[in-house]
Formats: sequence, structure tokens, C-alpha cells
Amino acid sequence: MDAPNGHVSLVLVSHSAEIAAGLAEMVAQIAGPGVPIVTAGGAVDGSLGTDGGRVLEAMRAAAAGAGAVVLVDLGSSVLSVRAALAELSDDELTRIAVADAPLVEGAIAAAVAASTGASCVEAARAAEEARSVAKL
Amino acid sequence: MSPSSDLDVERSVRLPEAVALHARPAGALVRAAAAFAAEVFVGFGGRRANAKSILDVLALGAEGGSELVISASGKDAAAAVEHLALLVPELA
Repeated sequence: MDAPNGHVSLVLVSHSAEIAAGLAEMVAQIAGPGVPIVTAGGAVDGSLGTDGGRVLEAMRAAAAGAGAVVLVDLGSSVLSVRAALAELSDDELTRIAVADAPLVEGAIAAAVAASTGASCVEAARAAEEARSVAKL
Repeated sequence: MSPSSDLDVERSVRLPEAVALHARPAGALVRAAAAFAAEVFVGFGGRRANAKSILDVLALGAEGGSELVISASGKDAAAAVEHLALLVPELA
């Protein structure tokens, strides 16, 4: 389960910079300081929306390290991530896993898995388990 | 169920009064459980969570002072239960 070059990181993509930043703070508290978190929240001018350039930059930076799990909120966040994937090299793509999971629960599950040395694929799988875990 | 056996080890422990099994303490417990090869579980209120799944553990909703049942089966089950039984009362 050991990932090369330290822990897998998280890329959080949201329409809202505040959602991404607040979630990063919450995730760090639960998973500990060992998991790098990169946020790409909001549009270029800071309003609600997505910034495709920043999403690509975040994913490219994450792929340069031990790899990353990408979590998205919805709509154009998903489109931005898809567009970024098309720009990445085959080598970079081996270190990126996009989780099809709810953003908050998925990020927490992925980060805790990453903190225990999971690969990006294993951490993405942990995030996707969020779809079937009951809250109540 | 002798604690010396490596199969189906089980022990009851109590959370500190002021520490519910929420966010940070739950994260600490899950990270500790993940270090063992054994299947590890946390039981509370008649439910049993996979101790390696943060979402499963959070869903238990165990409040401070609750009694938890730590159990495990597999290769290093005894060590896992012993480690977690020491950790839980120290969670902060």
C-alpha cells in the first residue's frame, strides 16, 4: 500500500472557493497533516464557477508528486476535470484518480485512506464507498 | 474468546467523557486500525463498524463516555485490539 514519494494528495474542485477551503480545513483535521490538499474553487474572478486553468494546474502539480485523488462537486466542475484529464500525459494519468463520490464524505474518506498510505486508486475507491454508507 | 488467540479477539473500552467519536478522534482511530492486517471492528449501540472506514465509524455516532467494543480477526488481531483498547481512552 505504500505510495512512492509520500502520501497521495487530494484535489478539491468546487464552484465555491469557500466550500473548497472549508472542506480542506475539515479534511486536514480528520486525516492529519500528512495529506497534501490542493483546492480549485470558484471562477477566475472569485465568483461562483470553475476555473479550468486552475483545475488543470492543480491536477498537474498533484500528478508530479505521489499522485492524487480528485473530488468534484457537480456540473462544470466535472467538465473542467474531464478537460484537464485530456491535457495530461499518459504518465501523469497513472497518478490521478477521479472519484465518483459525494464531495464532503468522499474527501474525508479518501484523505483518511491516503493518510494510511493508500494509492490514488485505493483512496478513490474509499471515497466511492461514501455512496453506500448510510448517515443515519 | 481468549485474548491470546489471534481469532475473534474482543474487548470493551470506554471513550473519555468529553470525547465523542466524531471527526478528529474517529480519524485517529481509523488511522491506527489501518496499520494492522486484521479485520478490525468497532461496536457501539448494537451496531458494528469497519474500524478502517472513517464514514462507517462516524455513522456510529458514539458520544463521549460510550462503551465501545473493539474486535478483530486475522493475523495480528490480538495486537490490533490491544493497541486500539489503549488508544480509545486516550483520544482527545
